[in-house]
Amino acid sequence: MASMEPFNRLVRLAARAFYDDISMKGDNQPKTSRGDNRGMAVVVLDALTRRQWVREEDLAKSLKLHSKQLRRILRFFEEEKLVTRDHRKESAKGAKVHNAAAAAASDGQPVTKEGEEKVKVHTHSYCCLDYAQICDIVRYRIHRMKKKLKDELDSRNTIQHYICPSCNKRYSAFDALQLVSYTDEYFHCETCNGELVAESDKLASEEMGDGDDNVRKRRREKLKDMQQRIEEQLKPLVAQLERVKNLPAPEFGSLQAWERANIGAFANGDPSAADSSRNSQGQYGTPMPYIGETKVEVDLLGDGVKEEGAESGKNGSELKVLPPWMIKDGMNLTKEQRGETSKASKLDEKSEAKDGKKQDSKDDQSIQEEYIKAYYEALRKKQEEEEEKRRMQQEGDTFVSDSQSERQVGKKYKREDEDEGIEWEEQQPTGNTTEMYKLADLNAEAQESGDDEDDLVWEEG
Amino acid sequence: MFFHIVLERNMQLHPRHFGPHLRDKLVSKLIKDVEGTCSGRHGFVVAITGVEDIGKGLIREGTGYVTFPVKYQCVVFRPFKGEILEAVVTMVNKMGFFAEAGPVQIFVSNHLIPDDMEFQSGDVPNYTTSDGSVKIQKESEVRLKIIGTRVDATEIFCIGTIKDDFLGVISDPGAAV
Ligand SMILES: [Zn+2]
Repeated sequence: MASMEPFNRLVRLAARAFYDDISMKGDNQPKTSRGDNRGMAVVVLDALTRRQWVREEDLAKSLKLHSKQLRRILRFFEEEKLVTRDHRKESAKGAKVHNAAAAAASDGQPVTKEGEEKVKVHTHSYCCLDYAQICDIVRYRIHRMKKKLKDELDSRNTIQHYICPSCNKRYSAFDALQLVSYTDEYFHCETCNGELVAESDKLASEEMGDGDDNVRKRRREKLKDMQQRIEEQLKPLVAQLERVKNLPAPEFGSLQAWERANIGAFANGDPSAADSSRNSQGQYGTPMPYIGETKVEVDLLGDGVKEEGAESGKNGSELKVLPPWMIKDGMNLTKEQRGETSKASKLDEKSEAKDGKKQDSKDDQSIQEEYIKAYYEALRKKQEEEEEKRRMQQEGDTFVSDSQSERQVGKKYKREDEDEGIEWEEQQPTGNTTEMYKLADLNAEAQESGDDEDDLVWEEG
Repeated sequence: MFFHIVLERNMQLHPRHFGPHLRDKLVSKLIKDVEGTCSGRHGFVVAITGVEDIGKGLIREGTGYVTFPVKYQCVVFRPFKGEILEAVVTMVNKMGFFAEAGPVQIFVSNHLIPDDMEFQSGDVPNYTTSDGSVKIQKESEVRLKIIGTRVDATEIFCIGTIKDDFLGVISDPGAAV
């Protein structure tokens, strides 16, 4: 994503320039000094610069605002085109998916909250800043301010008035047709046929006019003064706009896309989760939080291969490898291997995976949770061992470990081929994890070949 | 702005037209009476596009004339403040210039003409930029913005400006000469 800081600075400047004294009056608020919440708009905008898509309830909580009050402010900013909002009906589980995405987006930590089954559906509102639009809006706003003042100074869009110097009769430009003279280039008075003078000319010629002229003069000075202050006070904002002009604005996308992108870091199963939440949103009558949740956990349990099989019905093109947070604690090699594994074995195992998936969905919730626990445990152990191995490797006996692990890879693959269906399904978490750890100390060349026969050939040659 | 609307009018028909072509006569009279007129409320009636309904005639005592309520569809043209129009210049003088957009007369006073255009008197009075590249004279086509309208019962008169972005001459008859 593009660097946020220049844009966030822009938002903060704009908030202080334009929304400093905006007061959101609540209907039920007593008209006391406590009801004065000016500056709240700035606080909310500032808070949003530190977040991406955020559920409005959560934002209200962290700002210690009443959610109604916050909603009023957000609705205002939505109208001002600074904030994008989204509303959807969702169960407690759907909310969890969002939490997961938010957590993944903010610090890359896996969220392993186990929620209880709730079929209650509430409408939740989400909001985030629309940076690209904010740039446009702020620029447009400044442009309009300046143009309005300039137009007034130039007395543009004002109807010209004319005065007869001899009889002081006033005419407006609407009378022009009747005033036209076909003998010269001027307008002539209807009553005395005197040559009319445009009123602004009169103002220019005799500065010391009557009270009316003085009023106009004062107004002119006021406008000029205002123009100057605009230039002065908006200088930092304009400078920031200039700075930001050629930078790509941060783009969160729609709420759904954003959750999908960020939860991708949380679990492979996100697309399905997002899909199911959208379904439940789209068809209000039949929210299916259970299905959505099951999918998330199934995907956690399995790996990329299974995911692929399970997903093929909906969007088979989704080809996710290891979630990034795993890569972080694990190793680069691990990730590559994992990606390759799924590619190499995917085709053969797709159908089996599908079968397995069916069975899996029948499985008990508790069993799945057990698996997850076991999986994380194994993963952690592996990573520790891996670290150790690596250290050893660095010390010198690269050759030995290399060939050893090579053979192990071969073994592994054979075993996977043999174990099929349900067997394979249940073996998967542990088998997979050990495999990962062993492969971790392969060097890159070894990993390139997924087939063990190829490996052997390469080894010999 | 143009609108396609339904209007109603009471038509009086002379008894001599009562016959098999009564309806035709009524419609042709309607067209003759209405097209090209201006109502302050709806603007100029540009064309009648159809007759929706002709009600029951009412014989007027003493004259023998019959009054028919006629509902008809028509295209009307009504200028609005803020609207951008293209118009043909009809007259130029020191106070500004007049232009026509169809039936609408528009006056652009000289303070609403860009400051870099100056009035040049002569056989063909005109407003010209100092480098002579842009010239407004009779028959020039200009794009202008309406800043005020005066709507009378029978007439609409507009004040326009060309002192804004993308306004001004769009074709210059003097350039071809
Ligand atoms: Zn006079």
